[in-house]
Formats: sequence, structure tokens, C-alpha cells
Amino acid sequence: MKNSVYKKSWLFLLAALLLFVLAACTNDTTSEDTETEQPETTDEGTEEAGSGEISGQLEIQYFVGGYGDEWWKTVIEDFKKAYPDVEVIEHAGPDINTEMNTRWISNDPPDVVYIDGNGSSETQMISEGQLMDISEWAKGITMENGTPLLDSFISPAEELDGGKIYSLPLVFDTWGVWYDGNWFEEQGWEAPTDFDSWIESMKTIKEEAGIAPFITTGQYAQYFQRGVLYPAFAAAGGEELLNNLSNGVVEAWESEEALEVMKKVEKIVDEGLVDEGFAAYSHTQSQMNFLLHKNAYIPVGFWLPNEMINDTPEGFEYSFVPTPMNDSGNPMALIPDIRPVAIAQEADNPEAAKAFLEFIFTEKYAQAFAESTGAIMNLKNIDLSANNNVPSFLKGINEMINNPGAIQIYERNTPVDAKEQEINVEITNEIKLQIVEILMGRIDAEEFVQRMTNKAKELRGS
Amino acid sequence: MVQSKKQKYLFLSFCLLPTFIVFCIFTVYPMLGGLYFSFFDWSGTSSVKEFIGLDNYKQLLNDSVIPKAILNDYFFVFVKVFGIMILSLFFAVALTQLRIKEAPFYRIVFFFPNIMSVVVIGILWQFIYDPNIGIVNSLLKAIGLEQWAKPWLGDMTWALPSIAIPAIWAGIGLFMLLLMGGITSISKSLYEAAEIDGASEWQQFWKITVPLIWPQIKTSIIYIVITSLNGSFVLVQVMTGGGPGIATEVLGSYLYQRAFEDFKFGYGAAIGVLILVISLLTVIILQFILKKEKVEY
Repeated sequence: MKNSVYKKSWLFLLAALLLFVLAACTNDTTSEDTETEQPETTDEGTEEAGSGEISGQLEIQYFVGGYGDEWWKTVIEDFKKAYPDVEVIEHAGPDINTEMNTRWISNDPPDVVYIDGNGSSETQMISEGQLMDISEWAKGITMENGTPLLDSFISPAEELDGGKIYSLPLVFDTWGVWYDGNWFEEQGWEAPTDFDSWIESMKTIKEEAGIAPFITTGQYAQYFQRGVLYPAFAAAGGEELLNNLSNGVVEAWESEEALEVMKKVEKIVDEGLVDEGFAAYSHTQSQMNFLLHKNAYIPVGFWLPNEMINDTPEGFEYSFVPTPMNDSGNPMALIPDIRPVAIAQEADNPEAAKAFLEFIFTEKYAQAFAESTGAIMNLKNIDLSANNNVPSFLKGINEMINNPGAIQIYERNTPVDAKEQEINVEITNEIKLQIVEILMGRIDAEEFVQRMTNKAKELRGS
Repeated sequence: MVQSKKQKYLFLSFCLLPTFIVFCIFTVYPMLGGLYFSFFDWSGTSSVKEFIGLDNYKQLLNDSVIPKAILNDYFFVFVKVFGIMILSLFFAVALTQLRIKEAPFYRIVFFFPNIMSVVVIGILWQFIYDPNIGIVNSLLKAIGLEQWAKPWLGDMTWALPSIAIPAIWAGIGLFMLLLMGGITSISKSLYEAAEIDGASEWQQFWKITVPLIWPQIKTSIIYIVITSLNGSFVLVQVMTGGGPGIATEVLGSYLYQRAFEDFKFGYGAAIGVLILVISLLTVIILQFILKKEKVEY
């Protein structure tokens, strides 16, 4: 009797385990089924594409961050209407890069990818062969007015390995310094145009408002790195110095220009203009303090107004100026922070993917982009001045970009070579550590460049 | 009626096999996977990976952040072990021996942080420490100690202890309940006999309570050590991100940075193996230190 009970229990356990395994496998099978469906539609898509038609499934991965997803929803809906035979599958969200990671690892990526947000790196993807070389195709694409697409970008598509293009620069974002235009007007404070006027402005604000005028996030020191140091390096020594410093070239860190830039940072610290609590703040906390007028200037990208839309006090006017680290008489430096869109090397439906990319680069969607995201689509000569739905700061910066003079645009290139890429990552980490040290007043400019030089030497084995 | 060997083994398998299978799938397999990936140069974002042998481990030895992260990890271990054990033992004794009427209420209150998400705790304490609106600085200013007010989480010296406080606060409740269970199982007659013999309450605590709940104390210490070495990461990540600089960096937060922000998954896996080795060694040493004969009266 007892034996039979044990036997039954054992059989029950076995059945339960089998059921568990079966259930797990069933789920797998389902996802495999879905996945195996894709090549079929792909083949179809590719074949039909060959005969001039675009159809099949098109998978699009896009990160949803500070710009929201309204623009993507609009263009995808319009694309579906224009290409009714294409079934668009969206993979979107703030954590989409992590969620789709296993698809990329298993060589089953989506067709189109918008590269933005944590967990995505264009250079990493290029160096690992995940993006398709679209050079030849891109050269043949023209805008509505007949201008080649590649000539229509504000910041050009990056050409690597002797002219290969792996992505199209979709979003023109950039870092700069923000202030409340209304508050400045009320108080009679002037927006700065160079380093000296910025220092004077901050001293005045400190005296009159009794606050530390400058805030940044110490938890994410890359905000200061990209928002202040990069424009300062570019203003001091152009693209060459900017790229050499961020890529850890020893001579660049030993240069006079590097020291001069860090002397300017030291001056901001010595004058007591930095909020002493900066190191404790995350980016959102520092932005909150800025909105509450606990500080007057903050270095952030174009996404700030959208990101803080629910916390913005009434009467607050977001106003933007390219980081004024330039010497008097020289133009302010602007470093584009481009968010590209690309086609996966292993895309199942590359023809539909190309059709989609061609579809989105138009003036209509550039206007829509500025309206809904608060940033600029990377297309030249888009007149935003008549568009009442575009925020005024964006109109101003768009005007500046298209009519350079007061500003100068510099391109920052990240190396694709694996070794150089690694040095770039390590140098970036070291810069972030030393930024906190210098902003806390623990080291001076000389010590900063000395530490960076040592790190560059260590990484390059010299 | 005597069970055959086969029946005995069948019964044991019935009891152990499910747990063993789940353990293999969710613990052994990922652990071996981590060990395997630590021998590769892999970004963790594509199928491209290169076998590099022990290079990641060689890099670990030369990484200046690693010693600091290990020190910070052990800071949490010591502070949490002492902080949690002293406070939870104190509360457990108070709530069981002092005949407090509101004991059930306090039991719930002290246990409350245990049912809160660590992320929520981290965010909550971030506000408590906020240099402008935080209650800590406001309180210091209110009592005339303005010169002591500081950006706690942004201070190179104070950031780490500032994280340790919520870590202790969040840990007290669970261990208090564990110790209370031990204390209530001690026979009242032992205390009565000790009282008749003239033992003070302090002596009763050291001679009766502590020896008889030693197994619970030992379990608590080992559990705190393990969770500190493996779990400090969450509070650090939420409250400071390892900063300012590397002042609060622990191995877990550094692993996250290297594996998921710098796209060096292989190196991150090597740090994971280091955490495993350190945890195992610490627990073995601790078992040896805490070895004590079981006391029965």
C-alpha cells in the first residue's frame, strides 16, 4: 500500500516536471514559430522588393526617452498608409535596448534600429558588424527638392573605412547651457556670449540672488563632460584637439590648450559659482533645482524641456545658449550629439527598411519632429520660424545652426578600431572621475591634466 | 513495515529533486555561464566574442578601482553586521522581555522596511539627505548645528556611511523577528531560577539569552554578510551610482558599469566571479570564527 503511494507520488512529481518543461518548451516553440515566420515573409519581401514592390514584415526598434514616441507613432502610421503591404512591428520603450539585446546576440535583429539611450552604442555595433553598409544606396537618395540626402544633413553621415556609411544621422541634438529667459529678463541679467561674460553673469547672479548659479549632476559626470568640456576643448583647439583629448592622445593632454580649458573650469570653482551639493545629485534632481531657481545655469541637451515638462513651473521660459567657454571674439562651439538610424546587417526585410528610412527624411517630418520632441531633425534649411508649435529656443538655435557666425559646429568622432575604442571608454571614465574632483575643488587644473596625461600614457603603454 | 532502501531513496529523490533541478537551472547554470564568459572579450551585445584566457583576470589585478570597491564592500559588511545585530537584538529583547503593551505594533513598524522595495528605500533616503530640502540638514539647521549640514551623498567622506544607515534601517526588522522567535522559545523557568539565584538582568542576558539564541545570531550574521557582499549594489546604484568619484563604488556597481555601460561583459563576468570567490571565502572564515558548542540548560 505504502509502496503504491510512493509510486504514485513519484509519478505525480515526474508528470508535474514534464508539464513544467513542456510548458516552457511550448512558450519557446511559440516564439520560435514567430521567429521562423519572419524569414518566410522576408523572402517574400525580398523577392517582391526585387520586382519593385515593398511588402512583408518590417521590424522597427526605437528607444523612447526624452523625445517621447509621438513622432515615431506618426511616421509609422503614415508609412503604413503609403505601404499597405508592409506589416510594421514596433519594438519601443525606455528599456528597449536591453529588451532586444538577446535578439541582437542571436543574430535575429529587427530591420531598422534607432540608436539612442542606455545600452546602445553605434560604434560598438559597427565594429561588431551589426549594421549594414548602406553607402551605395544612400548616395542615390534625393530629397523632395532634388538635393541628395547626404548633402542635406546639418551634421554629415559619418564615413568610415574609406567611405562606408552604416547609419543616417536622424536627430541633431547638442549640449549647451540652459537658463530661464523670463527670470533673466525680470532681473535684467544678460545671457552670456563668451567665457568672460559668463563668469561676470554668474558672479552677478550669485550676488543678487544669493545662490550658487551653476549646477550639474555629479552622479552622471558625462553631463559636464559633454555639456561643458567638449565645447570648451573644441573652442580652444578645434576638432583635432577635441577628438585627440577624448580619444586619449598623450600630446593633446600635455598641450597648453587643454590646461587653459581646465584653468577656466578651476576659475568657475574658485569663484564659488558651483552648487556645493552637485556631487550628490542625479540629473533629474539637478534639473529640478534648476527649475526651482536654486541655480541659474545647467548644462543639458535639447531634451531638457520635454523631460521636465510635468515639473516646469508656470512662467518658466527654457532658454538655451551654446556653452560659452569660448574666448571673447571667438564663436561659441557646438558639438552635435547625433542619434542615428540604421539597418541591421542581418535585417530580414532590408528593402522595406530602406523604404522606411527614405520615407522619414522629409521636411514634413522634420517639422513634426521639432514640434513633438523639442529637438531638431538633422536636416538643413528647414524653416521652423513660421511653425507656431515649435518652442522659441529651438527656432533660435535652428536659425543659428543654419546661419553660422556666432557659433561654430565641430564634429566629434569616436574611433571604430577596437583598441582605440577601448582607450576612448577608459579615458571617458577617467575624465568623469576627475571632473568630480576638480568641481569639488579637491584638485586644480594642473593636477587634472597631469592625471589625464598619466592615464593616457598608461593606456597607450608609453 | 521497514522501508526498503529503494523506497527510502525514492522518497528522498521526491523531496530533493525538484529543489535540485530548480537550483541547477537558476543558480548553477548562470554561475557556470558567468565563469565561462569571464574568459572572453565580449561586449554582451552581439554574437562576436573572442577567447582571451585569463586576460580579464589579469586586468582585475591591475584595476585601481577593484581594491577600493572591495574595501567599500567590507565596510558595508562590518557596519551592517554590527549595526543590525546590536539594534535587532536590542529590539528583540525589549519587545519580548520588557512586557511592552504595544509590542505587536512595534513588531509591524520595525518590519515595515523589509516589505519595501530597496529602490524605494534608496529614493526615500535620497530625499532625506538632500542638501536643500532634506530632513537631515533641516534638522541640523533647526538645532543650531548649521555648520554640520553638508551634501551627505556628495561628500567624499560621508557618502559611504550615509548609504550604510538606510541599509541598517532596512535590515533590522527581519532579524529582529528571527531573534524574537529564538528568545520566546527559551523557557521562562530559566530566567526565574536565575533571578532567585540573584542574577541581574544584564547577567541573564549574557548567560541565558545570548547562548541559547546563538544559532539564530550565527544565521543572522552569515545572512547579513552574504546579502551585503551581493546586495549593496542596489542601494549604491540608486543613491550615488558609485560616486562621488568612486567613493561609494562596490564590486556590484562596478560590475554593472563595466558590463552594461562600458560594454565589457566579459570583464564584468570576471568581477562577478571575484564577488563569488570573496563571498565564499568570507563565509568559510566566518563559519570558523562563529563555531561554538551548542548550549543547552
